Amino acid sequence: MAPDSVEPINGAETAGQRLEGSPGGMAVSATAPTPAEAPAVGPYDEMYDSDNTPRATHSRLLRALDRIGPEGILERGRLRDAYLDQQGITFTLSGRERPLPLDLVPRIIPADEWSQVEAGVKQRIRALEAFLADLYGPQEVLADGIVPRRLILTSTHYHRAAYGVDPPNGVRLHVAGIDLIRDEAGRFCVLEDNLRNPSGVSYVLENRRALAHVLPEVFIGHRVRSVEEYPERLLEALQAATPRGVDEPVVVVLTPGVHNSAHYEHAFLARRMGVELVEGRDLYCRDGFLWMRTTSGPQRIHVVYRRIDDDFLDPLPFRFDSVLGIPGILNSARAGHVTIANAVGNGVADDKAVYPHVPDLIDYYLGETPILPNVETYDLQDPDQRSFVLDRMDRMVLKPSDASGGSGLLIGTKASVEELEATRERVLEDPRGWIAQPVVTFSTAPTAVDDGQLGPRHVDLRPFAVNDGNDIFVLPGGLTRVALPEGSLVVNSSQGGGSKDTWVLEDEDASVGRATGRPVRRVRRTPSSGISRAHAPRPHDDRQRQQEGQQQQAQEPRGPRC
Amino acid sequence: MLSRIAESFFWIGRYIERSEATARLLAEHHQLLVEDRTVPEEVACAVLLDSLSLPSLRVEDAASLVGAVIGSTTDASTIVGATSAARENARSVRDQLSGEVFEALNATHIALSRGMVYAASPGVALHRVQERLLTVNGIIEWTMSRDEGYLFLTLGRSLERIDMTARLLGVRHDQLWSEGGPVATLRAAGALSAFLRMRHPLDGDEVRRFLSLDPAFPRSLRACAEQAERSVRGLERMGSSDGGDLLREVGMLRSQLEYVVDPSAADVDALCARAQVAAVRASDCAARGFFHQAGTIVWSH
Repeated sequence: MAPDSVEPINGAETAGQRLEGSPGGMAVSATAPTPAEAPAVGPYDEMYDSDNTPRATHSRLLRALDRIGPEGILERGRLRDAYLDQQGITFTLSGRERPLPLDLVPRIIPADEWSQVEAGVKQRIRALEAFLADLYGPQEVLADGIVPRRLILTSTHYHRAAYGVDPPNGVRLHVAGIDLIRDEAGRFCVLEDNLRNPSGVSYVLENRRALAHVLPEVFIGHRVRSVEEYPERLLEALQAATPRGVDEPVVVVLTPGVHNSAHYEHAFLARRMGVELVEGRDLYCRDGFLWMRTTSGPQRIHVVYRRIDDDFLDPLPFRFDSVLGIPGILNSARAGHVTIANAVGNGVADDKAVYPHVPDLIDYYLGETPILPNVETYDLQDPDQRSFVLDRMDRMVLKPSDASGGSGLLIGTKASVEELEATRERVLEDPRGWIAQPVVTFSTAPTAVDDGQLGPRHVDLRPFAVNDGNDIFVLPGGLTRVALPEGSLVVNSSQGGGSKDTWVLEDEDASVGRATGRPVRRVRRTPSSGISRAHAPRPHDDRQRQQEGQQQQAQEPRGPRC
Repeated sequence: MLSRIAESFFWIGRYIERSEATARLLAEHHQLLVEDRTVPEEVACAVLLDSLSLPSLRVEDAASLVGAVIGSTTDASTIVGATSAARENARSVRDQLSGEVFEALNATHIALSRGMVYAASPGVALHRVQERLLTVNGIIEWTMSRDEGYLFLTLGRSLERIDMTARLLGVRHDQLWSEGGPVATLRAAGALSAFLRMRHPLDGDEVRRFLSLDPAFPRSLRACAEQAERSVRGLERMGSSDGGDLLREVGMLRSQLEYVVDPSAADVDALCARAQVAAVRASDCAARGFFHQAGTIVWSH
């Protein structure tokens, strides 16, 4: 923990005392860093309100966990580890396959809060789609001065090669993951957009299954919205993006290969969509079409859901040394013979230096106010803002603007003097390459810690959205990542983050016909076939059994016969 | 081969299959019941017990459902009961079985009856049961000669598989749980990946069609009927015949499933019911034609 992180979360001590007295003996206590330039309020805790009363939405969960107790939690933790290991639900970190740590305490998002998130995510994606279509087309947004032209032209992810590639149904963001946090007031804010290859959705489905497998008790009394339909929705969206004039599109998932950190997810999605998982060497372009090598000859491919970065996708316009890509695929896409999902060049819209402009884009393209606000962000190309940030670097988070996954991130409160100094120099050298944000104390949620007790840990949320051109589907919940080390604010799985099963509860009023939930089902009982079970005739009836036994007894005293 | 021995092989095949298929069905049903609480718990319990022909008295929640279906040695329709019945049959033909098969089956029976597969969560325990039974099946496949005994075992397994697949389809997970239901039915048959690769739309009717009529998936009704027919023909080649009734029964079923033209969802349901009846009749034919149960003759003066 940083030395200045001494502020307890709201009433943590009292919460701790009360919990220790409860049968499960779960203690809650933690501290969190003080946010920069903000009054010393603690993070929003998702289980306890400011009076240290469990929120109504969490009371059942708390009772269930209490009944299981710390010993029980530890035991279930062992079952979970065995299960995840055996299922091979892993990600690869520095060359080693390991299971994504799944916390046993689910995260609950009540129906009304979720409907806000859902609406906000949809709104943001509609605006970002319009922005990308504009950037790779008429560029009115630049002409109107909403976003500085220099910002776009200097973005490493703005690809001229993608200019004029017109996706068949207008969709570039087939899949998007919007990273959200909750600020001190509990409001969901957008931390960053992931518009290239957002990963983690397989863990959403697997986490649900794993939790129900090892800890079924916590589900009692909760109506949790299902996440099972994601692969179907994704396949439908990919099929909807097929080139014009194709009735039965062939969709594939393109993976860099088994050594990629997200290979598990690529295989999962291909399997659950029932499509082929291919590598670059399985494909080739000829006559402007994309083909797959099969035992029955070449087969044409219409839609590629690629999980491979732009730079490696096509060695002709991009990195010529790429051995993972398919030469000519971008030209096939330009000719309208194949759809690449997500589209090439999306990275310009999730460039961190573009992020501060997204609220303006929502206004510009949709004429709406953002439902989900941004986190305050400083533009380091502006001399005033830059000097403001450099004066208080120890209270800022600095992020490289073109990176993802928390790499290169500097947390001022945790950094050494040398690290601060080194970053300062890099910022002065390349202000375009960095953005700064105040340290945001994002919300905490109860998490099972080493001894089976519960402790608050910081969480974020990545909802996944799928755009099929008509509608944007937001998977209920999404991936909650949790910073497992106490006080840590970094949730990335590459840096010690774990995940949580994320529950969006059905609207309680759903039974009276509100649109957000499903009614309690009236079940029509199918009459059983009435066919009774066949059974083996009892091999020995009682009398025979008795007599067999007597024979044995009679023989025993005789001893071995010679 | 002695009739008594043949009969034991037949029932070893049936009971191992019953135990394993029941464990898988229970695991998936329980998982759905836990994850998606839109279906009243007591209804979800009753539906499963009904389809397994188990009494539904005093079973109202997920935990008591698991207890009832895991069951005990007294009811051979439960997981413990079927495993124990398989082991009893194996004991009486122990000299004819490979040592490994008896050992694995016996170990499974012991583990179940002594609670060694117990785990804090039913899902984990059921997974362990399935692993053990799958091991038994694997050992049968690679240690048993393809002789008469093996053919009786596979005949029993195929007929039980028809019965269990029909019972699984009778649960109608898709009607109970519109989102997770079709996937759960497929998982309970181990057919999720096989189904998805066929690019069928994932809905209840398609799932039932697949599990009834697919020619390639080994647990479809059609594949089981084919396997049963192969076993009966194999027995005939080895000189064991019941005079043709059994072959007629399984062969007719196989051809109905194989040559049905463009079946509607209702046709599939009818075929499924027909298959279950045919499996009962085939089992009766086998008992009459091969096993000749004499019963215990008691002389009384």
